[in-house]
Amino acid sequence: MDLPINERSLRMEAQTPLVLALPKGRILKELGPLLARAGIFPAADFDDEDSRRLRFETNDPGLDVVRVRPFDVATFVAHGGAQIGVAGGDVLMEADSPEVYAPLDLGIGRCRVSVAEPAATAGRDDPSRWSRVTVATKYPNIAQRHFAARGVQAEIVHLNGAMELAPGLGLARLIVDLVQTGSTLAANGLVETEVIAQVTSRLVVNRTALKTRPEAIAALIARFRAALPA
Amino acid sequence: MTSDDMPHRALLPAGLADLLPPDAAREAALVEAMLAVFAAHGYERVKPPLLEFEDSLLAGSGAAVAEQTFRLMDPVSQRMMGLRADTTPQVARIAATRLANVARPLRLSYAGQVLRVRGTPIASERQMPQAGIELIGAATAMADAEVALLGVEALAAVGVTDVALDVLMPTMTPALLDAARVVPPLRQKLARALDRKDAADVAALAAEAGAPALTALLAAAGPADGALAALNAADLPPAARAIADNAAAVIAAIRARAPGLRITLDPVEFRGFTYHTGVAFTLYGPGGELARGGRYLSGEEPATGLTLYPDAVLRMAAPAAPAPRLFLAPGQDGAAHRAAGFVTVAALSAADTPRSLRCTHILHGQTPAPIED
Repeated sequence: MDLPINERSLRMEAQTPLVLALPKGRILKELGPLLARAGIFPAADFDDEDSRRLRFETNDPGLDVVRVRPFDVATFVAHGGAQIGVAGGDVLMEADSPEVYAPLDLGIGRCRVSVAEPAATAGRDDPSRWSRVTVATKYPNIAQRHFAARGVQAEIVHLNGAMELAPGLGLARLIVDLVQTGSTLAANGLVETEVIAQVTSRLVVNRTALKTRPEAIAALIARFRAALPA
Repeated sequence: MTSDDMPHRALLPAGLADLLPPDAAREAALVEAMLAVFAAHGYERVKPPLLEFEDSLLAGSGAAVAEQTFRLMDPVSQRMMGLRADTTPQVARIAATRLANVARPLRLSYAGQVLRVRGTPIASERQMPQAGIELIGAATAMADAEVALLGVEALAAVGVTDVALDVLMPTMTPALLDAARVVPPLRQKLARALDRKDAADVAALAAEAGAPALTALLAAAGPADGALAALNAADLPPAARAIADNAAAVIAAIRARAPGLRITLDPVEFRGFTYHTGVAFTLYGPGGELARGGRYLSGEEPATGLTLYPDAVLRMAAPAAPAPRLFLAPGQDGAAHRAAGFVTVAALSAADTPRSLRCTHILHGQTPAPIED
């Protein structure tokens, strides 16, 4: 009767461990104390950035953790390869996957997705007259939706880093990027002109896992909730 | 590869696939086994065509799949036709027209292929099999329970027993938003946050909308007993209370007949249940959705139905042991052995050997014997 949404994941037998996908990098450092308060202690080499291992057991035999790129957390959880994960609001907005639920705001990794442009041109023309604008970003979907909502086509230059270079080198008029303090923007002669969304990290859950292993997933969510600072 | 390269002739359009031995036979056998369960419960089979005029195909519940429907022009009538993306609207049309004079409740079943314009990011298939039932003209909780339990029984008949039933109330969220007089754009934002179970956004938006019950109901989702208790405790406006009571009655009716079935209840999920008017449900196996169904309006009549996804069932059903293959040399008769459960493969020339015909048995006199390696 309706559109089937079938995970092609491997079979998730009830006795197999849940997999928690964690993002490498900035968020992982903030996450360490939270994991500890939630009583989740990954194997010792998890914190070793040089370790070649990608999947780690924890003190809980029913829970393994994997360490992947931030954007890939959403993908692993959407496909059910990981039943649970930690992803930034920016990643969730960009991936926009109906298979990923975000039941808990962890309140860490606080930053914003913003539009920025060279200080030299900012405010010099009237954006309501634009038909289209070139935007360098690692968030093509967010940028496209944001500008489409005001009737402007965003022509995306998809970069994976160093967006701040793009306006100066003629790749794009604007950038859409994650901003924490704004110092990188300032150092490259850019100013933040608009905040698209405030962002924090969320605990995310695969839709099927929430339905088929509700007790185990709910127990994990409760552990994270209890570990949040009051 | 440059664009000048000829496409490989095995390449199919995205989302389409050949089903090979033994999977093609297994899928067909699964479908027939499930249809046999429906038939044993009095569901009579109908076979609508693959194509029909789009105004009948996309009426009623068909509107939900309008943007997923392939269209083509009928050169004969010069009218637009649609290739079915869902079978339920066709069965509803049959019930309302050719079978309008048959006494209700009407129990119908079907099996066939559907086509979709697009796959999902998770499942890329654009052609998929469906097998389903529609129970038309009955509005009771017993009818909802019958359809849900038939899905469970059909899955059990093909060996899929690790099944969980998720009960949904797609009308609950609109009822709460109506009662609180929430209007766009806040309404859309709240619906989207609920759809993604984004607890932080739901809490903020529900407070803004004056519908705090939504936050409680979002947290209530889970195993049925706890969820029903949370629903009972929640402060609901009358329309929402009626929806909750109906869901409780359906769950009680299911429990009465299948006490061991794992049931979860999700009061605020409505994803993909746009045309449902009452309790809806999803059957989950260990790897994903196996079936969906629920209450809707078939024309003017109350109806409830269920669609099983045989391709998903196939991925989850344990593979059956292949039948033994018996080699028949020229002149040997296999009728008695076929009756005994053998597949017989006849040699057509001296070049055909038991090994080249992938046989597991040969005849020693009149007795099949396994081939020794």
